Amino acid sequence: MFDDFKAQFILNFVAEDRWRYLANGLLVTLKLTFFAVILGLVLGFGIAFVRNVHANTGKLKILDFLCGLYLTVIRGTPVVVQLMIIYFVIFGSVRIDKSLTAIIAFGLNSAAYQAEIFRSGIQSIPKGQMEAGRSLGFSYFQTMVNIIMPQAIKNVIPTLLNEVITLLKETSVAGYIALEDLTKGGDIIRSRTYSAFMPLLAVALIYLIMVIILEKLVKVIERRLKKNEK
Amino acid sequence: MKNDQSLSTLIQVRNLEKHFGDHKVLNGITVDINKGDVVCVIGPSGSGKSTFLRCLNRLDEPTGGEIIFDGVNILAPDVNIDLHRQKMGMVFQQFNLFPHMTILKNLTIAPMTLQNRPREEAEGYAMDLLERVGLKDRASDYPLQLSGGQQQRIAIVRALCMRPEVMLFDEPTSALDPEMVGEVLEVMKELAAEHMTMVVVTHEMGFAREVASRVMFLDGGDFLEENTPAEFFANPKNERLRDFLGKVL
Repeated sequence: MFDDFKAQFILNFVAEDRWRYLANGLLVTLKLTFFAVILGLVLGFGIAFVRNVHANTGKLKILDFLCGLYLTVIRGTPVVVQLMIIYFVIFGSVRIDKSLTAIIAFGLNSAAYQAEIFRSGIQSIPKGQMEAGRSLGFSYFQTMVNIIMPQAIKNVIPTLLNEVITLLKETSVAGYIALEDLTKGGDIIRSRTYSAFMPLLAVALIYLIMVIILEKLVKVIERRLKKNEK
Repeated sequence: MKNDQSLSTLIQVRNLEKHFGDHKVLNGITVDINKGDVVCVIGPSGSGKSTFLRCLNRLDEPTGGEIIFDGVNILAPDVNIDLHRQKMGMVFQQFNLFPHMTILKNLTIAPMTLQNRPREEAEGYAMDLLERVGLKDRASDYPLQLSGGQQQRIAIVRALCMRPEVMLFDEPTSALDPEMVGEVLEVMKELAAEHMTMVVVTHEMGFAREVASRVMFLDGGDFLEENTPAEFFANPKNERLRDFLGKVL
């Protein structure tokens, strides 16, 4: 039994340096996640800001409508479909780096979710904070930037990190546009060795380890943030 | 000279109206607030007294009338209310300090950002005021580390750091534990003694009697009676005021 295990291990990971599929795949997965999160962060923040300005002042009506539409479409369709539309339809006729396409797709997707996280973060700040800022003579924007946003961002950091975890796992569909991410790497090994158990389990294990690390990070940060307050 | 100043009008409120939909909260209030006045506004809950105060700096948007502050009708559509609010300090029932900033930052962010005061000047002024309210040693603490009474004293100082011409107090002691009410009222009394113009919505009848230059009774969106505190409490003329005082005193 152990010999069998060993043989399988060698076949799937050691022979022909197949472990490289996982290692390279992992790098691709991390790269996609990282840049998609950044893109989502910037866009999501902007969307949340627009929607909040509109909700409170009635300004930016058209922009707010577009943002609302964007959220509905993105959150109402599967990410893998969005990925394929962006790759095969929108960028179908131009040569563009596959990783970049995926980063754009996942970033646009994540932006919708991060926007909602930011928005709920902003809404969680008591009304009195805005009133106190305004009563001192700060404009709406100055109050948002100096008083509301710093508190809102602090409140949503744990939730945002959970979004990172979700995104990390969601990038596993990158293989649909023939991008060799971690999942695809495991799948390539499977198709070479005709054994599914080891490579797929290894893939799952790597995801799991990364998620556990991120979750630990969330806990540490949550504790830190609480400590700052008291 | 001093006398002239104390007689001049700082805020003229003319026919101030506020309604939320069909519900009328303020029915055309007219009142003058003079420099150095300490005006206490009392009345049953729901009488519109907080709304009146919040309309003075347009935290609540009046639906009609005029508020002339420093000679400018601040309800005019082209007025930049932010500029006028810098001259109207406000203290809230819930303190509303900024929990993510130290006390000192709470006190200096507005003067430094809005009045371009250099850091040393803003901090020096803030520390002086902190010392006077007995909280100098808490400058680097965060608001939530302080008791309610301390937070409210800081909130008063925060408004004062903008060197306002008038201070608006919206039930400043209503959210405090009873043993902390005194320390906040003490600060307010000192302010009054320095001739700060104050409009105070309060349930503290003792404070109104002792400190106010004028007491006003607001009920159902109208000012029903206004008088010096002595007359106001000793000889209330309006029947609803008599009724109200009978309940609270």
